[in-house]
Amino acid sequence: MPANSKTAGKTTLAEIGLSEQTLLGLYTNLLKTRLLDERFRKLFRQGRFAGTYFSAVGQEATTVGPTYGLRDEDIIAPSHREIGANVTKGVPLEVIVAQVFARGNSPDKGKSHPCHYGWRPKGVITPASTVAGQTIVGTGCAMAFRIQKKDNVVLAFFGEGSTARGGWHEALNYAGIYKLPIIYICQNNLWAESVPSTLAASITNFSDRAKAYGFPGITIDGNDVVAVHKTSVEAIARARSGEGPTLIECKTYRWYGHSEIDPADYRAQAELESWKKKDPLPRAEKPLMDLGILTLEKREALVEQINQEIDAAIDAVEKAPYSPPEEAYNDVYSEQFPVRREEY
Amino acid sequence: MKKVTFIEAITQALDEEMARDERVFLLGEDIGLYGGVFKATKGLLDKYGAERVIDTPISEVYIAGGSVGAAMVGMRPVPEIQFADFITPSMDQIIQQMAKMRYRTGGQWTCPMTMRVCCGADVGGGLYHSQTNEQWFVSQPGLIVVMPATPYDAKGLLKSAIRGDDPVIYFEHKRLYRWIKEEIPEDDFTVPIGKAAIRKEGKDITVVSYGLMYHRSLEAVNALEKEGISAELIDMRTLLPWDRETILESVKKTSRVVLVSESSKTGGVMGEIGASIAEEVFDYLDAPVTRVCGIDVPAVPFAPPMEHFFLPNADKITRAVKKVLEY
Repeated sequence: MPANSKTAGKTTLAEIGLSEQTLLGLYTNLLKTRLLDERFRKLFRQGRFAGTYFSAVGQEATTVGPTYGLRDEDIIAPSHREIGANVTKGVPLEVIVAQVFARGNSPDKGKSHPCHYGWRPKGVITPASTVAGQTIVGTGCAMAFRIQKKDNVVLAFFGEGSTARGGWHEALNYAGIYKLPIIYICQNNLWAESVPSTLAASITNFSDRAKAYGFPGITIDGNDVVAVHKTSVEAIARARSGEGPTLIECKTYRWYGHSEIDPADYRAQAELESWKKKDPLPRAEKPLMDLGILTLEKREALVEQINQEIDAAIDAVEKAPYSPPEEAYNDVYSEQFPVRREEY
Repeated sequence: MKKVTFIEAITQALDEEMARDERVFLLGEDIGLYGGVFKATKGLLDKYGAERVIDTPISEVYIAGGSVGAAMVGMRPVPEIQFADFITPSMDQIIQQMAKMRYRTGGQWTCPMTMRVCCGADVGGGLYHSQTNEQWFVSQPGLIVVMPATPYDAKGLLKSAIRGDDPVIYFEHKRLYRWIKEEIPEDDFTVPIGKAAIRKEGKDITVVSYGLMYHRSLEAVNALEKEGISAELIDMRTLLPWDRETILESVKKTSRVVLVSESSKTGGVMGEIGASIAEEVFDYLDAPVTRVCGIDVPAVPFAPPMEHFFLPNADKITRAVKKVLEY
């Protein structure tokens, strides 16, 4: 694995290869994602929303890094751990919170499960729970962009476990043939729910799979937001210019269970502790501190500001009503085909 | 007016819709260079180019799921599933993405696509080239399921499907492709989705069918007419959402009904219609609701005597009608 300390230890922006604005932007989105994610976990334990919650803590750099700098019309084809992509794409916090709380003002009106964020104005597809599903659909979006002669791109996010599904292979195979404008981001967090990645494939680097489809596959340190961002920017540029897809495998780790009801007792504590030392947040913070872009005071103020935004979003959402139950009848078909109302 | 075959009507609809709307494009196995295994897309690659008539790899998951994605961002995909028997890999994308996209996104994203599925028996296709399989989809709200029986409807329904804003599975029976010919208008026309057609008015009994079975039912109804039996013949055309009004009103008028489908009896759309008749117009019935369907076996067997044994035909339908009338 490429050593993150190489970039973190460097002290000039030129050496890092990013602008001050980008470096700070990446960090701010990481921080916002982390604070919101930890807050959701707390709210779930307090019983403030139904269902369960899928935390992405520990692997935020894999979503923030690729998404930072995208255009509104670029598509995010997510799974259930892409809170960071939503935050970074600019989906308002209130929209994200409303989705988790399944309120009537959620874009899905409360129909989808928590963490199935989707907001069309920012190009985020509300996902299905069938993993790799949006990889296939996202590839179709990229196919359309090619036909439409648009230079939009698609970012498809999935875990390493999803790459065992047949449809995932069909999509990547197709994207390779037609050089579609899509970037496949594999978040290899070592565990597909309870199944270790060694039982998901007989290869160590999941990016090797790209070889079979005739496009580049790259494995990077997924907890180094600078590396993830820079690798993605190159892949996005290639995709926009018609040079085709890239598979980027981000080695990372989820700190908590598959969802909040999973104690994750299938994995060793030592493994978790070793990954916590590779926390993407302090690693993104260090160069900013070294360069004086960020100070302890400024960080305090930033945390305070984000927490206030989160508080305000939660306050507003918790006051908002659920959709009336009859909303269940809507959005089945276009208005041409109303669903028959049952009377019992 | 010009006489066209069922498959010519389909090709015309595709051609005209592609000419009318540049968002319409086709994808599927063998549809480009080869023009489709039944030639439904013949000539379209030359006319519209490889970006709009796409020969895909053997990837039914992608054909379905990729079409969903393209539909979401402004295209009107018309994927082809070469045989209904091969639709199974697509099921995940049809059920989880195509049918649910509008619902799960709260109407933010829609899925205006038309999946053409070549289906049906009585062609010596054997277990894996003969199934209709529409029964798997009629139980999935969010999908529109149509199956035309005539060239006019084949063209008009396909145009409605492509122009509409909902995901449609369009079943085309391969036995009808070159067998059924009809004069159809040369001007643009559509056939509304969700409306059944009363092909023949009658007073003694209602016969409901669709696809190839409409023609078998017509044969039966014509034979019965010679014996003085007046049967009302309904061609469903759309199977989901089905035309409750036309069917239930007809049953209220005739008080007797025979439901005919090519797919197996268990779990098919005729079970749903029979249940709705029992639920809503029970008081009007003079005899039990009766179904004539494919037999309950895993697929259509190959050897010709067994294939014909599997399928409903005019004789079986005639016997069922007489039994209901004698009740």
